[in-house]
Amino acid sequence: MIEAKELRAGYGDGADILHGVSLNAHAREIVTILGPNGCGKSTLLKTIAGYVIPRAGQVLIDGMDAGHIPIQRKVRHNRVGYVPQTDNVFGTLTVAENLRLGAALLPRAERTARFEELLAAYPALAGKLNRKASALSGGERQVLSLVRALMPRPQILLLDEPSAGLSPLMMHEVFDAIAEVRDKHDLCILMVEQNAFEALGVADRAYVLALGKVALTAPAKDLLKDPAMRQLYLGGEIEAA
Amino acid sequence: MSDFLIHVASIACIYGMLALSLNLQMGFTGLVNFGLIALFGCGIYGAALAHVMGWPLIAGLAAALVMAGLLGLFFARLGRRLSSDYWGIATLSIAEVIRITVMNESWTGGAQGISGLTLLFGDLRPWDGLARLGLFALALFATYLLCEKLVRSRFGLAMKLMREEPQLARALGHDINGIRARVMLISAAIAAVAGVLYAHYLTFVGPDQLVSADTFLIWSMVIVGGIANNRGVVVGAVLMQFAMAFVPFAKDLLGLPTDFVAAARLILVGGGILLFLLLKPQGLLPERVGAGK
Repeated sequence: MIEAKELRAGYGDGADILHGVSLNAHAREIVTILGPNGCGKSTLLKTIAGYVIPRAGQVLIDGMDAGHIPIQRKVRHNRVGYVPQTDNVFGTLTVAENLRLGAALLPRAERTARFEELLAAYPALAGKLNRKASALSGGERQVLSLVRALMPRPQILLLDEPSAGLSPLMMHEVFDAIAEVRDKHDLCILMVEQNAFEALGVADRAYVLALGKVALTAPAKDLLKDPAMRQLYLGGEIEAA
Repeated sequence: MSDFLIHVASIACIYGMLALSLNLQMGFTGLVNFGLIALFGCGIYGAALAHVMGWPLIAGLAAALVMAGLLGLFFARLGRRLSSDYWGIATLSIAEVIRITVMNESWTGGAQGISGLTLLFGDLRPWDGLARLGLFALALFATYLLCEKLVRSRFGLAMKLMREEPQLARALGHDINGIRARVMLISAAIAAVAGVLYAHYLTFVGPDQLVSADTFLIWSMVIVGGIANNRGVVVGAVLMQFAMAFVPFAKDLLGLPTDFVAAARLILVGGGILLFLLLKPQGLLPERVGAGK
């Protein structure tokens, strides 16, 4: 479904942040990208999304080279959804208006039906349609941005730290919602996360980055038990492969 | 006195168009353009150069639209590489470069400018002033309707999304470079039309009409009237223009020296901007919040 091959990327004229990263993710699975601060997780997601153009390597979507396609075209033509880490809702608009922005990418005749369909699937939002998005809690905003990303029926969903800034309770709600999205909508979800143990709880597979390279890759359940993983997140470091 | 009021109202209509142009850029799209006067300059010099070449008024309008369109696209192109603040500084710099170039080139009339342009409705005396005011008011109203239609459309919503969260707008499939280019083209066209009308009203064009202080006068109209409210910025333009026009009367009333007029106008612009930003940042008529269509 989505594949990165030997990606090298960085910002402006600066040094490479990604040093030849390869990964893949398939339909009906959640793949999480983990690693310490500054290891290149968000840069990797932004490069796959199309915010950052790779300096070398390929991003393949269904086998087609999409490395140089900017995010707005991927969203319109490649059925990719992207949820940024922060500023992911339009605070001055209502919940309903935010959702309709996502539906606007669909043909006009399908919009209302899709809107109703997703509201039925996520009833927590249905009761708050006329509230300003800025008045929602952090967890509700994440769910709103997730549901809005689902509106145009993406086949790939890219999530940048969906639990950023959330309390543990809200974090659970958001990860439950993400798992629900995979199960209900048969999506390929690629998710960057800081909260490794929470993310591994819902993910199928994981890649651990260190210094812009893939240091570890394994099924999520195996990584949860991996001593190197515990070393990385509970103290100590691991070397890039 | 009535001729004076007609004159002030005429200028207010032209500046109202410029305020609407800036409002599309800054108010609705978040494009902090400090070089708007250069787009207006394309209008006045388009008309003036057409006059020098012996072309009809309509050809001057076409030349003005082409020049302003190209400059607008150049501004938009710069926005691809510069963040909002730096883009604003770049537009101000370009406007100054254009003004200085115009002042030092012989084909633009240099510092003396170009005079003798055809006066609009000059053959309708004694009703020519009213006829011009009618035309300018019509042009302002048409610009207002165009801006309202635009900001209430789906494109208008995309403009507001770009202003609020440009990266999120991209994640929703909006091409922010395309939005910027289209907004700059439309705004440039409005500023150019205002410039042509202004040139054929004063019948004189010179580099003094391109000073950056005039950009900030237009900014004050938008800030006082209400950022991202088309009706508000027209109100702001009329209020500021009349306030500027009545400064000489205040000078006479208070027995102040002539130097006071120029200084008081600058204070009015700077003070107006500062006062409203501090005490009423949403302006006299605040933006109506909502997604529209």
